[in-house]
Amino acid sequence: MLTLTKDRALALALLLIVAVMWIESGDIRPPTSWQPYGSALFPRILLVVIGLLSLMILVRSLLVKVPEPAGTKQLITEWFQNRRIILALFLLFGLYAALLPVVGYIAATIGFLVASLALLMGVNTQRKWIINLTLSFALTIVIYVIFRHGLNIWLP
Amino acid sequence: MTNFFLQALAEVGTPSVLGLIVLGVLFGIIGGSIPGFTVTMAILVVFPFTFAMDPVSGVSLMVGVFVGGYSGGIVSGVMLGIPGTPSSITTVYDGYPMAQKGEPGRALGIGVASSFLGTIISVAVLVFFGPLIASFSMNFRPWEITALIVFALTLVAGLSNGALLKGLLAAALGLLITTVGYDRNSNLRFDFGIPAFGSGFEILPVMIGIFAFSQLLGNIEKLKDEKSETKKIDTNVSIPYGQILKDMAGQKLNTLRSSLIGSLVGALPGTGGTVANFLSYDQAKKFSKTPEEFGKGTPSGIVASEASNSAVAGGAFVPTLALGIPGDLPMAIMMGVLILHGITPGPMMFEQNPVLVGAIYASLLIGAVVMVLCNLLLVRWFAKISLIPQQILVPVVLMLCAIGAYALNNNLFDIWVLFIFGVIGYLLWKADVPLTPLILGVVLGDNLERQLFRALELNESWLTFLTRPLSALFLALAVVSILFSLYQDRKIQRLKNAAQ
Repeated sequence: MLTLTKDRALALALLLIVAVMWIESGDIRPPTSWQPYGSALFPRILLVVIGLLSLMILVRSLLVKVPEPAGTKQLITEWFQNRRIILALFLLFGLYAALLPVVGYIAATIGFLVASLALLMGVNTQRKWIINLTLSFALTIVIYVIFRHGLNIWLP
Repeated sequence: MTNFFLQALAEVGTPSVLGLIVLGVLFGIIGGSIPGFTVTMAILVVFPFTFAMDPVSGVSLMVGVFVGGYSGGIVSGVMLGIPGTPSSITTVYDGYPMAQKGEPGRALGIGVASSFLGTIISVAVLVFFGPLIASFSMNFRPWEITALIVFALTLVAGLSNGALLKGLLAAALGLLITTVGYDRNSNLRFDFGIPAFGSGFEILPVMIGIFAFSQLLGNIEKLKDEKSETKKIDTNVSIPYGQILKDMAGQKLNTLRSSLIGSLVGALPGTGGTVANFLSYDQAKKFSKTPEEFGKGTPSGIVASEASNSAVAGGAFVPTLALGIPGDLPMAIMMGVLILHGITPGPMMFEQNPVLVGAIYASLLIGAVVMVLCNLLLVRWFAKISLIPQQILVPVVLMLCAIGAYALNNNLFDIWVLFIFGVIGYLLWKADVPLTPLILGVVLGDNLERQLFRALELNESWLTFLTRPLSALFLALAVVSILFSLYQDRKIQRLKNAAQ
């Protein structure tokens, strides 16, 4: 059983993307007499280059001996466990993007800042809460005023 | 050109634009002095604020950030012993020991003065060589431009931490990203049935997503790994002006040499401040009569480091303005700023927008003066600000990135683009894929495709790329850069094997 290393995961993921995009490139309008090269040629050249480079990375990674064969499932679980904070931040950012059009800039931004500051700084002392809330509220309002009134840019 | 420069100076000299330069320099210094924040991040954060500005104001603000950012590493380098930006690593070698000997003011003063002179000399290089290269490249036809872009991408890919395959892969991925949406012939590509994909991805959210997420989240991971202790620093610094003048008087040749190295390295694609920094430090040591003093707090070391990394600012503008090809990450973003304001960097820019080119020169010069004043007057505040913890910085910057992406077109889809490319950038970064070639690919993709097909429409033979001398030269250089990188990779591998 082969161990899933960084390079192997990268190469396999990219080969999958190349395959999907190659199939999708079949939907691009074919060449015509006045567009002899067609719109699919350039991306297909790139897909071939990416595919070849991914294959080279894959082959190179297979030539290197990996000392400890661990289960792929276990490796993936460990990877996610070691990056819980990063994943939580991504999740918070995704939520922020989803909530912006629903609750508006001010509520969504305050919510995102309070939650992500709490996640990174912790909430074990009163001082941290004061810093968190002051910063979240003040910054949200300051940015709103600068964009809305200083730069005439509407925020959602 | 003098007329245009005077006209530009008049535009840049208005109180509002001067105020923007001051703000830009201040923010740049702050960004550069916070370890792990970098000049690039400072530029990305300020970028959205330029959307509603006229081109001269927007570009002046960004140039201010650029100048301030490259000098910002001095403060944390001298006071904390931590380089604020990668381009100020060698500042720490002598700046920190000098501060430890009880002369932080002298170290800061020498650093700031060198930074100032480095910027001024690099502007002179830009003023001289920019129009020269631009007028030469006016003769470039689509074959030459295509070959030049390919050369720039292979060069940057090859210089990516000895990972040639991944560097080339990153560049190709960057180019592929630009093929989503309607193309030059109004044919739809890779929309996957999602209507929002039809207009393609805006460069800005893609760049911010790829760079900012990997950088910021990487900082968070490092915090977890290192559990860094909180540094206490004495911010009560006084600058000994007389001593600094004396120090600088003895460093004329070192300043000039380091500034020229910085300008030259800045003008080469894929290099930037870090390479300039090490190269000029090494040269200063070789030319010094007292090389044993390097690393112990000698003024020569600080001068070599700071003059060269600041000189990168002017040098890096040369290929961006003259050829439309950015050499490094901050310049790729600067090019994005220009494009956003409706200006296409390249040889025609000197003819079509001479006032704006003049405004860039003027902003660099004014920015250098403002940088000296800010650094000398506000050093203790910058030292305090440089201690802002990443735990606070990261959420705030992520929020600013989101608002910046939205403000570009008042389009919420751009925040999702930012998010998706943030995830992609982070994963690629974890897989050791260099991100600079990727971002350069995103910036240059449209132009590469346009020029390639224009060339083929003019002459359908692909061989024309090899029969035109300049085009063949650029392609040959691309091959040489790949072969050289392969040789370097092998050498590194052999050294690794020997060490094991």
